[in-house]
Amino acid sequence: MRLENVTLFCFFASYLVALGFEAVPLLKKLKWSHWAALFSAAAGLVAQTAYLMARSRDTALPPLLNSTHDWLLVLAWLIVLLYLVVELADRRIALGLFVLPLVLALVGASRLVSDVHNPSLGESRNLGMFHAAMLVLGMAGVFIGFVMSLMYLVQHRRLKSKRGELPGLHMLSLETLGRVNWWAVVLSVPLLTAGMATGVWLTFLPHESTGAIELRRFEFLISGLLWLTMVALFFWLLTSRRPGGRVVAWRTMWACGFMLVTLVLLQVLSGGGIHGTG
Amino acid sequence: MNVQVVYCNHQTADLAVRERLAFSSEDIVLRAYDELRNRFPDSEHVLVSTCNRVELYSAQQQAERSPSHIELARFFSEFHSLPLDDIFSDLLEETGAQAVRHLFEVAASIDSMVLGENQIVSQVKEAYELARRGNANGPLTNALFQRALAVSARVRTETKLSEGRVSIASVAVGDFGRSIFERFDDKTVLVIGAGDMADETLRYLQNEGVGKIVVCNRTAERAERLAGEFGGTVRPWEQLDICLADADLIVSATGASEPVVSIERFQRARAKSGAKPVFILDLGAPRDFQPGVGHIDDGVFLYDIDDLEATCRKNREARATEIERAHAIIEQETARFVHELHHKATGPIIGRLRDHWHEISAAELEILFRKMSHLPDEDRRAIERTIERIVNKLLHPPLETLREESREGTPHGLLDAIRRLFHLGE
Repeated sequence: MRLENVTLFCFFASYLVALGFEAVPLLKKLKWSHWAALFSAAAGLVAQTAYLMARSRDTALPPLLNSTHDWLLVLAWLIVLLYLVVELADRRIALGLFVLPLVLALVGASRLVSDVHNPSLGESRNLGMFHAAMLVLGMAGVFIGFVMSLMYLVQHRRLKSKRGELPGLHMLSLETLGRVNWWAVVLSVPLLTAGMATGVWLTFLPHESTGAIELRRFEFLISGLLWLTMVALFFWLLTSRRPGGRVVAWRTMWACGFMLVTLVLLQVLSGGGIHGTG
Repeated sequence: MNVQVVYCNHQTADLAVRERLAFSSEDIVLRAYDELRNRFPDSEHVLVSTCNRVELYSAQQQAERSPSHIELARFFSEFHSLPLDDIFSDLLEETGAQAVRHLFEVAASIDSMVLGENQIVSQVKEAYELARRGNANGPLTNALFQRALAVSARVRTETKLSEGRVSIASVAVGDFGRSIFERFDDKTVLVIGAGDMADETLRYLQNEGVGKIVVCNRTAERAERLAGEFGGTVRPWEQLDICLADADLIVSATGASEPVVSIERFQRARAKSGAKPVFILDLGAPRDFQPGVGHIDDGVFLYDIDDLEATCRKNREARATEIERAHAIIEQETARFVHELHHKATGPIIGRLRDHWHEISAAELEILFRKMSHLPDEDRRAIERTIERIVNKLLHPPLETLREESREGTPHGLLDAIRRLFHLGE
């Protein structure tokens, strides 16, 4: 099969099938459903890799510098990889039920944003690469924080309402979820900061491209505001007497969820976010 | 071929009877096998003896040499020095397909006190291994027990019979404790009171590797016994408030008539401990913690007997709905095993009959070819093939009838008739 023939639909469908298999144990015990889910997700990951490679080859740019479309797909790719690693380490955790819908949303959103390559980042390739990598890793941290806090709240609600565990919905302990959540936020904020700072720096570099970034643009201001929200959460977590618990989960979920949704919406509505031409 | 079982279990006999009939150690079981070999040299045996059942499985190639129910009961009576009349009515017997089905049900844990429990599988496996060590087994019991373990695995894989915990302590630790804490080795467990429920819960917590156990009881003597058993420390009753603040897990089973820990008292403890998660198992009846304690803050997880029992009941009900599916699997496997067993019994006769007819046809062909020596090889081969087909077609109806009959049991009458009709000898 030629790489060019892989479309976005191929891996979107694979992840959708994987989600279906992840949901099967909620209704019926099937020994193979977990492996079928992993297989489908792995197939989707391979297809997605091929898709990104084909696009990268066409533009002679790494996926991170290519376009907002590719950047969102790299983020989704990282998250699917993480999901597969965690599931192979402990196959009882129903992580797919939390992660795969968000991955599908990211892949779906990537369809709506600009897939025209971004010339401004390509000009200062190393710095551009650093900027995009920091942001994508920071956003992956935000994503993990969101999923962990969501899982925390579901688990907390079950425990408080004194209900036994549902078959097929095994979750991590509150202690683990709280710890992973804390680290996800604490690590993602410096990464986002580094990404934002290099982004600002890039705007001051002399270049003749028409795709130069204007700091006073609405999208940039919104992004800055979201970053400040995350920084506030970061300092609150570091200074809080109790760096875990339901309140932390709520705040993290709102902050991370808000950031994810707003950034994706910004990209979609402006056709490419900060790097768009609109 | 015949399989039989003489048994008593938790459904048919009291604990007192089971205790008297039990084979409580490996040495005793091995001695029992020696005795069984002396009494019934043509039989294979496997003894399954647990706290809930005592079962003696026997199998023999020739059904007529099977020990009778009374003979096996006499073995129990004389081995344990018990009057036969006292135990005979408690020892039930199943034979043939019923005996096979019974073992499959035992191994699949359908017959267990706690439906779907896993322990019985290893107990059956150990019993079979011990029979092998005692040279009490044989080809029939090997096939029977290996199939029983395979059936057990199939039932567990294809049904939800073993899913969900069904005892209070296991639900408390497994369904709730492990969902709150990642690990237990860095946690402090406070035990208030020293009842049996606390004892059982501590066993589960110890399996989870719990770090520090503190026992706080009004009676120091019982507290020391419990602390000694689980490697914990005893704190005086007066220090209960300090202990409440330090604990990550609290197991309470005091038997007090009024709640020991009020909302105000626990609020004071929370003020000292901060908002760290605390898992409280109130196993007292009446309850030791006021129900409102669970609502003090988001980090307090309070469970009483009713909360845990509700989950146990739900899990038990979920298992019960799987029984029919498990029975269907067992029925299918029993029929298959019995058919294979009886089909095996008909094997030698079928072989002899086939050989006999082929010998006759070969002899007749030789005479024919001697007379017609001018026949080319090709024609000879064609004649041989035709005769072969005729013999096989003639053999088909009796063999098919034998196969059909062997589904219900070894067709001794039919086998005897074939032997006599075709002069096959013994």
